[in-house]
Amino acid sequence: MGKRVLIVDDAAFMRMILKDIVTKNGYEVAGEAANGLEAIERYKELKHDVTTMDITMPEMNGIDAIKKIKEADSEAKVIVCSAMGQQAMVIDAIQAGAKDFIVKPFQHSRVIEALNKVTG
Amino acid sequence: MGSEFDQYLSTFIDETKEYMSTLNEQMLLLEKEPDNMEAINEIFRTIHTLKGMSGTMGFSNMAKLSHRMENVFDLIRTEKLRVTHENSDLLFAGVDLLEKMTDAISTGGSDESVDVSQVLSQYERILSGEDLEKTGSENHPEKGEKTLQKPKEETEISSDSPIDIPNEVIAVLREGKVSGHKPYYAKIKLEEGTLLKSARMYMVFHKLEELNSEVLFSKPDVEKIEDEAFDREVEIIFLSKLNEAKLVKALSSISEIENVKIFVLTVTNESGEEPMNETEYTEQMNDKTNSEPQNLTEINRVETSPEDEESNAKRPQTASSKLTRTIRVDTEKLDTLMNLMAELVIARSRINETLKKYEIKQVDESLAQLSRNTSDLQNIVMKIRMVPISYVFNRFPRMVRDLARKNNKEIQLIISGQETEVDRTVVEEIGDPLVHLLRNAVDHGVESTEERMKQGKPSTGIVRLDAKHEGNNVVIDVQDDGKGLDRDRIIAKAVERGLVDEMSAANLSNEEVFSFIFMPGFSTMDEVTDLSGRGVGMDVVKTSIENLNGSISIESEKGKGTKVTIRLPLTLAIIQALLVKVSNLVYAIPIASIDSTLNLPTSEIQIVQSREVVVIRGEIIPIVWLKEIFQLSVDEDKENIHVVIVKVGNKKFGLVVDGLLGQDDIVIKSLGKLLKDVNEFSGAAILGDGSISLILEIANIVHQNV
Repeated sequence: MGKRVLIVDDAAFMRMILKDIVTKNGYEVAGEAANGLEAIERYKELKHDVTTMDITMPEMNGIDAIKKIKEADSEAKVIVCSAMGQQAMVIDAIQAGAKDFIVKPFQHSRVIEALNKVTG
Repeated sequence: MGSEFDQYLSTFIDETKEYMSTLNEQMLLLEKEPDNMEAINEIFRTIHTLKGMSGTMGFSNMAKLSHRMENVFDLIRTEKLRVTHENSDLLFAGVDLLEKMTDAISTGGSDESVDVSQVLSQYERILSGEDLEKTGSENHPEKGEKTLQKPKEETEISSDSPIDIPNEVIAVLREGKVSGHKPYYAKIKLEEGTLLKSARMYMVFHKLEELNSEVLFSKPDVEKIEDEAFDREVEIIFLSKLNEAKLVKALSSISEIENVKIFVLTVTNESGEEPMNETEYTEQMNDKTNSEPQNLTEINRVETSPEDEESNAKRPQTASSKLTRTIRVDTEKLDTLMNLMAELVIARSRINETLKKYEIKQVDESLAQLSRNTSDLQNIVMKIRMVPISYVFNRFPRMVRDLARKNNKEIQLIISGQETEVDRTVVEEIGDPLVHLLRNAVDHGVESTEERMKQGKPSTGIVRLDAKHEGNNVVIDVQDDGKGLDRDRIIAKAVERGLVDEMSAANLSNEEVFSFIFMPGFSTMDEVTDLSGRGVGMDVVKTSIENLNGSISIESEKGKGTKVTIRLPLTLAIIQALLVKVSNLVYAIPIASIDSTLNLPTSEIQIVQSREVVVIRGEIIPIVWLKEIFQLSVDEDKENIHVVIVKVGNKKFGLVVDGLLGQDDIVIKSLGKLLKDVNEFSGAAILGDGSISLILEIANIVHQNV
């Protein structure tokens, strides 16, 4: 039984890439969301193990979404997805409760390392 | 000293004052609980820090005194000296001297102006061992001693200090043992090709912080790490209560860390630690207080257990980052900020007012946004200016202790609500009135021990000081369980002074009777104690409170005690006011002084003793026509008049105005120096339409015209 992942990214392309990486490595995709608000909705409905969260998204950004999710579930496991040059935001996300971060363009091994560490 | 120090002076003074209040607090605690190790350690740390700070600033007198006090506390800490009444008085004397020096320095003077020789020589006496208890403590291992911790497998590689550790850090490490923290050294290496290295390193710091560990030092320093100005390795020194295995496990959960090496540090003790003034102190340190060998500080690296060896491969180690959370700001800047904020609020209301006339839909939304933003901003600015009232309360335990000792009374001061936040202007002004009230409570409220025994009360009197928020007010109570006010005596005095006749005095409520003691000079007419001692300068207290737009009241029960309640607005810069129209001008009356408003037929005005009055619910209230006072054109008689009933002290007065315009938050602006003699107005405010409204100083208007 693979661990279940919720993928949050406003770009369908990025979601696809991530989906590809995780499913090839024994994880299961529990659901997807395209912005922070959707992510919070999904988070409530789904029973999943870990969330990957993009930072820059419309409606509600990833950092705010992490805060909300953490408020509802302090145990929530979130990995934040960042682009180069977003160092400050990554730090904000960690302060908000993100457990790890991965940097775009994604290296498969890093994504899996992060997932393993966070769910392990 | 050089100008490079001057720029640190204000920080030095601020911090020193904070430390002084900690010292006082902890000393009081220690006096009560002489075995309270936490208090002892806190005092030791504080004095130690003071020593370092004052030495760095070149205040050698202060450094000398704190150094001696530190020595004395070291004896207490190592249980070679017990805290007694006598030596605690002596230590308090030292704290007082330090305080004096701080005051001298903060007013531009020098610490050299304070004579410390007497206290110092008494410390010498203690330190020379005359007072030392010989109980076994001599047999202790060298007090220089204690390696912070002794892992069984420890190996010392003293020749190979891992990194250059600044002396301050060493000092903290040494103190760490006191609080049960172990010092660790960790070397953390990131994987090749790690992206966002500083965020990754941040995770290490963050993790350590989560584990209540404290990072004391890092190489490269935090700024460099933030700027990614490091290759792949960072070395840190940190304190933690956890053992190595737990730390390794915690840190190994972080990604992209190639390996982590962790060592427990041993810190050998003592005396070499002065970062500054080393030479200056060397001689003194060789005295008997430090009879131990003068070990130089050494930081020895200790390889930890095999378990950790294996962890070296891929174990991060925990530390908490010590990023700055607060900054110190010149209060003047805060005042300016508040002022600008006020201007902004005014400008906003003016724009609002103007645009209303044109009904432009497109701007409504952005205007609403602007309104929200300015309100939020205003709230935040107000919050920034708020400080906990503990700033004032902190000095009281010491004061009450001293007063009680002087009076030979046993008194316990119970403070609550010291975290209540108030505007800093309030904090600055409220100190003296509270000192006065507490003095009264201790000197005259609480009875002597014998008296209390006689009445079957507990021998220790209780004085309570409490602060809390109530709506937009802060309420401060000063309460004692002493003898209470003597109603009959107060009435007798009041009658004697002709303030009231005997007949009506009998019908006065307690509150009314007690309010006599707020009358100027009321109490000085006789020996203080004749009036249960109350009333000395109570009129001054009342005036100060009223100057803060506050009010004061007294409740008391004979034999049970007295409670004085002070009510103050949270902030003084913005007040709620009733806007009234007189002729064609708008005036503001502070809501705090308003009792009620009325609309009366002109025919109800009566003349009593050639004064115009109105009778409201049986109460005779003198009235004042504002337009006469301000010499504005009087228009033809109207059938009805608007009267604003205001309270000054316990008396009511009616102000006749032409109309009531409504209630508003106004920002008080000073009238400036040119108009400083105008005492009918406390200031002016700019209204939403840009016009200016004068704010009435009710007490003065009433006094001058009634």
